[in-house]
Amino acid sequence: MYSMVTTAIARGLESVYIQAEADVSDGMPLFEMVGFLSSEVKEARERVRTALHSCGFKIPAKRITVNLSPADVRKSGSGFDLPIAVAVLAALGEVEAEFLRDTLVLGEISLNGKIQSIRGVLPIVAEAKKRGIKKCIIPYANLAEAKIVPEIEIWAIEDLRELVSYLRGRTYIEKTPIINMEEARQKQTEPDFSEINGQDSVKRACEVAVAGMHNFLMIGPPGSGKTMIAKRIPGILPPMTIEEKMEVSEIYSVCGILPQNGVLIRERPFRSPHHTISPNGLSGGGIVPKPGEISLAHNGVLFLDELPEYKKSTLEILRQPMEDKEITLVRQSGTYRYPSNFMLVAAMNPCKCGYYPDRTRCSCREGEAARYLGKISKPLLDRIDICVEAPLICYEELTQKNKRNESSGNIRNRVSAARERQQHRFRQKEISCNSQIPSKDIETYCGLNEKQNRYMKEIYQKMEISARGYYKIIKTARTIADLDDCADIQMHHLNEAICYRIQDQKYWE
Amino acid sequence: MEKKWKYQYWMKNIPGIGNKKLKKLVEYCGSAQEVYGLTKRQLQKVEGIRACDAEAIAESRNHFDLEKNVQILRETGISMITIEEEEFPERLKNISDCPYAVFYKGRLPKEDEKTAAIVGARMCSSYGRAVSLALGEKLAACSVSIVSGMAYGIDSFGHWGAIRGRGNTYAVLGCGADICYPAGGKELYDKILQSGGILSEYPPHTNPAPAQFPARNRLISALSDVIIVVEAKNKSGSLITADFALEQGKDVYAVPGRLDDAQSAGCNELIRQGSGIITSFEGLLTDLGLEPDKSGAKDKILKKSLEKEEALVYSCFGLQPRNMEELLKETKIPAARLADLLVKLQIKGLVEEYFKNHYRKK
Repeated sequence: MYSMVTTAIARGLESVYIQAEADVSDGMPLFEMVGFLSSEVKEARERVRTALHSCGFKIPAKRITVNLSPADVRKSGSGFDLPIAVAVLAALGEVEAEFLRDTLVLGEISLNGKIQSIRGVLPIVAEAKKRGIKKCIIPYANLAEAKIVPEIEIWAIEDLRELVSYLRGRTYIEKTPIINMEEARQKQTEPDFSEINGQDSVKRACEVAVAGMHNFLMIGPPGSGKTMIAKRIPGILPPMTIEEKMEVSEIYSVCGILPQNGVLIRERPFRSPHHTISPNGLSGGGIVPKPGEISLAHNGVLFLDELPEYKKSTLEILRQPMEDKEITLVRQSGTYRYPSNFMLVAAMNPCKCGYYPDRTRCSCREGEAARYLGKISKPLLDRIDICVEAPLICYEELTQKNKRNESSGNIRNRVSAARERQQHRFRQKEISCNSQIPSKDIETYCGLNEKQNRYMKEIYQKMEISARGYYKIIKTARTIADLDDCADIQMHHLNEAICYRIQDQKYWE
Repeated sequence: MEKKWKYQYWMKNIPGIGNKKLKKLVEYCGSAQEVYGLTKRQLQKVEGIRACDAEAIAESRNHFDLEKNVQILRETGISMITIEEEEFPERLKNISDCPYAVFYKGRLPKEDEKTAAIVGARMCSSYGRAVSLALGEKLAACSVSIVSGMAYGIDSFGHWGAIRGRGNTYAVLGCGADICYPAGGKELYDKILQSGGILSEYPPHTNPAPAQFPARNRLISALSDVIIVVEAKNKSGSLITADFALEQGKDVYAVPGRLDDAQSAGCNELIRQGSGIITSFEGLLTDLGLEPDKSGAKDKILKKSLEKEEALVYSCFGLQPRNMEELLKETKIPAARLADLLVKLQIKGLVEEYFKNHYRKK
């Protein structure tokens, strides 16, 4: 007898649909599997056979052939065990094929018939819904993430025998996911901007950067609070929309690091990989590429502390994803696409010893500061819109107790208002914030009046700004105007934006 | 003069024969050409010339191709002047270890030209930079030429100040005058050639070597009427210059620094030992018998053209540079507004941003 079960594997955030076919016929007793299988899928044969046996099913002395089609897609991952088992059972006539129509089956089996969790359930289920699949059979351990997708029937299975009973006609009773209460309760108290004394100029620059999703660089001596400020940036980012939450959760699901509390990821990601990270760690990689840090920071912040300490080859990787907002990884097994729309926040010391231009403490030689910045490639610096210095704070300021600093909530309100203005402006467009305005549309969205044009020309010549630098200034000025609730860019917005520009290294003595 | 070069250049290049012996040889014979004609025995008759020296001279005479070498010298475009000549700078003749020859590009300071040396640390603070620039400019405006060593830091800024003040400036190098050392000072090197000269006691193509730099310091002090040390740590090379100056009977002035400031420790020590102290530019000019110009008035006119808040920010700037955070605290202007004001001041050319968010008076 012949049977067919639908399953899927995640390739990036998309899924590839695979049909698991089984045929039982007369001939030499044999259990064979074909269909371009990787070794973990080949091993499924032993797992399935033993699991069927331990669940009390007799495997007849017949020729059993399993095919995973299409045959030209390499099958990898552990989610094929359950579909193969179900297909074999259906071919043997143990279960009703009727229940498998428009159904997606996913799961790994252990030898005693228990169903184990797999990775990437969320994006697969989300796409299944779009494709018109009515029902998904998944491991119980993955129920929490599958539940995120509304309006699709989910059967969460703990045991193979249990599944067989449903497939013989028993009614499935809705289950609730195990919620790791520990984790759910561990809602961390977020760090707040009000805890930082001083650094007002950095805070302001930070607000502007966040409001327009401008990439942000802080330069300052060690201990001046660069990392503290970076850690507080997620707290002033506007809340994620449901689509954004979904995107982030899908990426985390592919990595298998979705928290077990049964809800979408609500907080914008803040990723701060150490500078020893490998290029693949940042971009995503492996034989079957998993998302890297740039994708895990999608819709959030990627914080690179001690920027010049990263390997050059690692930093160069950032260029294309920063431009395209996604990364395409091509491997033998296929092409994987992961989104990577993050805000880059970087921090660095001004020089090797960290104290330039304070000559009483800095022992670097002439031009060392410029050389230190020179370690970062020009194209990467070109993508940083806002640069600011975080100076050392004096003791009195640091220890001031009852100073009223602005809270993250207040800043977040202003940022959200500015974002709304941008979303309204770009409602017909692909882009969502000022930093993404392509140069050809600058004139449309950031028009300057005649006086301002003349002024910018003067600036352009006097300060020797590059063409790219010029556009960055105008885009930043647009964001500052949005924060100020101004329809048009004003002169002081331009000036403030100029102040945040990143200087050419030749101006660093 | 150039005709004599080939013998003089040979003299200068004899290994193991220093300035003192060269001077004695010339005094005995009258000119380099005649030294060239002496036999070994005759050479030994000269006071201070030992048998081994005579041997060295004879040896180099056999190996040194006069025509070829003088050709090389000519090709570098560098002039040579020796103590044999009348025109040899009087200031150099008077020092104890007077160089036999000086190589120069551009021109040498005239005998009646007033000169001052501005020397100090390579790694200087912004304050040191501002002071040396201002000193250079103000002295140059009073027709005082600035002599220094073209090293990074104070030396360079002293030269730049003179160039800003449209005065003359001379650099004494510790390598061949055709070599721009430090290499990063090429722009300054070219500028100095336009408004003065580069000189050295070492033949062209001589590479910089550590021992040559203290030696050139004696020429810096010799060429200057007064020596100003702007920023020097203890054991700084600038203190060597100051020592030479005292030996040569020149006035030494030092710019005072704060007590705990390692950058100025050498200067403060000089002051303790009794050197002149610079407490104001006007005071220094008066001390040197010069007429201070009224550049302060320019500042006042500028200030009048500023908006109230611009003027408030501008008034925070003195010789010391300021960073954004300090200005925020001092003026209590919100960060966004301050950023706007600082750019305005930059556009007006009053302030410059020398490092991210660090500003100083231009």
